[in-house]
Amino acid sequence: MPGVTLAAAQGWSTCSPRTVPVRLDGSDAGPTGASEEDEISSGRSTALDPVRVDVSGLTKNFGSVRAVDDLSFTVEPGQVTGFLGPNGAGKTTTLRMALGLITPDRGTTTFNGTPYAALPEPTRQVGAVLETAFHPARSGRNHLRVYCRAAGLPTSRADEVLEQVGLGPAGNRKAGGYSLGMRQRLGLATALLGDPAVLVLDEPANGLDPEGIQWLRGFLRHLAHDQGRTVLVSSHLLAEVEQTADRVVIVGAGRLVRQGSLTELRAGSVGSVLVRSPQATALAELLRATGTSVDATDGSAAGITVNGLPVEEVGRRAFAGGIELHELRAQTSGLEEVYFRLTAGQEQYAADHSDTAATPGVS
Amino acid sequence: MGTAIPRLVRAEWTKLLTTRVWIGLLLGACLMVGAFATLFTAFAGNDDSGIAPVGTATYEQLALAVSANATILFIVLGIIGTTQEYRHRTATPTFLASPHRGRVVIAKLLAYVAAAAPMALVVIAVDVLVVTVYAGAKGAAPSLTGDNLRVLVGAWAALVIYTVIGVGVGALLRNQVGAIVGALVYLFVVEGIISSIPATQGAYKWLPGGALEAMTATFNQTDLLSAWQGGLLLLVYGVAAAVLGTVLAVRRDVV
Repeated sequence: MPGVTLAAAQGWSTCSPRTVPVRLDGSDAGPTGASEEDEISSGRSTALDPVRVDVSGLTKNFGSVRAVDDLSFTVEPGQVTGFLGPNGAGKTTTLRMALGLITPDRGTTTFNGTPYAALPEPTRQVGAVLETAFHPARSGRNHLRVYCRAAGLPTSRADEVLEQVGLGPAGNRKAGGYSLGMRQRLGLATALLGDPAVLVLDEPANGLDPEGIQWLRGFLRHLAHDQGRTVLVSSHLLAEVEQTADRVVIVGAGRLVRQGSLTELRAGSVGSVLVRSPQATALAELLRATGTSVDATDGSAAGITVNGLPVEEVGRRAFAGGIELHELRAQTSGLEEVYFRLTAGQEQYAADHSDTAATPGVS
Repeated sequence: MGTAIPRLVRAEWTKLLTTRVWIGLLLGACLMVGAFATLFTAFAGNDDSGIAPVGTATYEQLALAVSANATILFIVLGIIGTTQEYRHRTATPTFLASPHRGRVVIAKLLAYVAAAAPMALVVIAVDVLVVTVYAGAKGAAPSLTGDNLRVLVGAWAALVIYTVIGVGVGALLRNQVGAIVGALVYLFVVEGIISSIPATQGAYKWLPGGALEAMTATFNQTDLLSAWQGGLLLLVYGVAAAVLGTVLAVRRDVV
C-alpha cells in the first residue's frame, strides 16, 4: 500500500512541470510561472490554488419526480469529501448539474465563485469521472489524446496520465476490451489530463478489485492531502469512503441529510460491540442495569452483542464488574449505523424538516 | 476565451481518424461508385438499357455523375460523427471539455467538411478512372472539361454537403440507428413516393433529393432547379439541420 501511494506520488512529480502554467484564471501564469516550476520539481503541495466548490439551492425535477430538492453544501480544498446517499438519492444528477451537463431548475454551483460553463479552461480546473463509457474501437491512449486536443494540452499528457493510473501497458488496446476496473482507471486518467485543482468522481470504486480500491483510496488522499486538491467522491456505500474521506455530505431523496467531518458524524453515535465471556449472563445484566441494550449473539451462548456503547466503555465496565472476557471487538462501526439510520430511515429523519414531502420515486 | 474552435476541430479529427468508420465508408463509396460506373459503361449503347452510347454527352454526364450515389454513405459519415457521442456516451467528456455545446457542433461541421472534401475527391477519382479506362477501351474516353467538369464539381460538392446534413441530422436525432434508418428511408422511399405522385411532384425539386439531382447530370423530364440553386438549397438543408441540432444540443440535458 505505501508503495502504491509512492508510485502515485512519483507519477505526479514527473508530470508536474507541464502543469505549472495551468492556473485558475491565468492571471498568475506570467512571471511567477518560472519560480513555481522550481518549487514544483521538489514537490508540488503548495503550488496549487485551492478551489472551493459551493453548491447552492440546487433543485431538479424530472417530470413529477423531484430528483434534487434545494440541495446546498460546500466542498473544501485539501480534503476528500464523500458524497453519500442511497441509490437514486440524486447524487449523479447533482454532480451533472454542478458540471453544467444538466440544467438545474433552480440553484447554482460555483468553483471559487465561477459556474462550470463560465470557467475559461474547464479541463484544467475541474476533472470529472462521471461514467466509464468510451468508444469501444478507440484505444485508451487515443481516447485521452482526443481530450488533450480539445483542451489544448500536449498529447504527451495522455501517456503521463496513463502511467499515473497504472494503465500504461494497456494504452494501445481498444477501450472496448477493458475490464470494468480498467475503465474506471481510464475515466480517472481523463479527469487528470488537465491537472485540475478539483476532482469530481461518481462512484469511482465500482468495478475495482480490492487492490484497485486500496490504490484509489491512497491516490485520492494523496491528491487532496499532499497536493491540496479538492476531491469530491460519491458513493452509496459508506464503507467505501470511510477510510478516505475527511468530510461527508449525506443526501437522501434529493435533500441534504447531513454534512460535516467524519469525526463529527462519529461523535453522534456508536455501533455495536461483540463480547464473548464465560460470564455472559452476568455481563448482560450488568450492562442492562444502566439501560444499555444487549442482545444474544447467534450460535454461541457465551456471546452477546452490546449496542450503543463504545468498545472501551464495555471493556471498562466488564473490568469494573470483575467479569472475565474472552473476546471484545467492535462489530459495526458507529458511522455505518449513523449512515444507515440517516438514509434508510427517511421518515425518522424527516422530522427535522417540517416541509419534507415524500418522494418515493427517487429513493 | 473559452475553448477555441480550432482545438475542437482537431479533437474531432482525432476522433474520426482513431476509429475505422471513415475507411469503411470510403471503401464502400469507392466500390459502389466503381461498380455503378462499370455497369453504366457496360450497358452504354445497349438498346434495352436506354443508356446512350459511349462518346455522347448524355452518357458521359451520366457516368461521371454516379459519384453522387455515394451521398448516402457520406450522410451516414456525418450522422455517425455526431450520434457516436450519444451512442457511446462520450458526449459527457466532450461537453465537459467544452461546456459551450454550440462550439462542439460548429467544430464537428468544420471538421467533417474538411474530412469529407478529400474523401469525396477520392470517390470522384475512382469514378473518373473507371469511366476513362472502360469508355476509352470502348471507343471514347470523356473529356474532363466543360459540362463534364461541372458535373464532377457538382457531385463533389453534393458529397460534402450531404456530410454536413448528416452532422446536422445526427445532432438533431442523437439516436444513431434511428438517424441512419430514417435518412435511408427518407431518401429512398419517401422522396421516391413524393416524386412519383403527380399531386406532390412539384415539391420534389425543393427536397434534398431533387436538389441533389439538380446539382448533378440529369436528363429526366422532371422540373428541377438549376445546379447552383440545387447546391444552395442543399446547403440550406444542411445548415438548418445543424442549427436546429445545435439549439437542441445546448438545451438538452446530458444524462
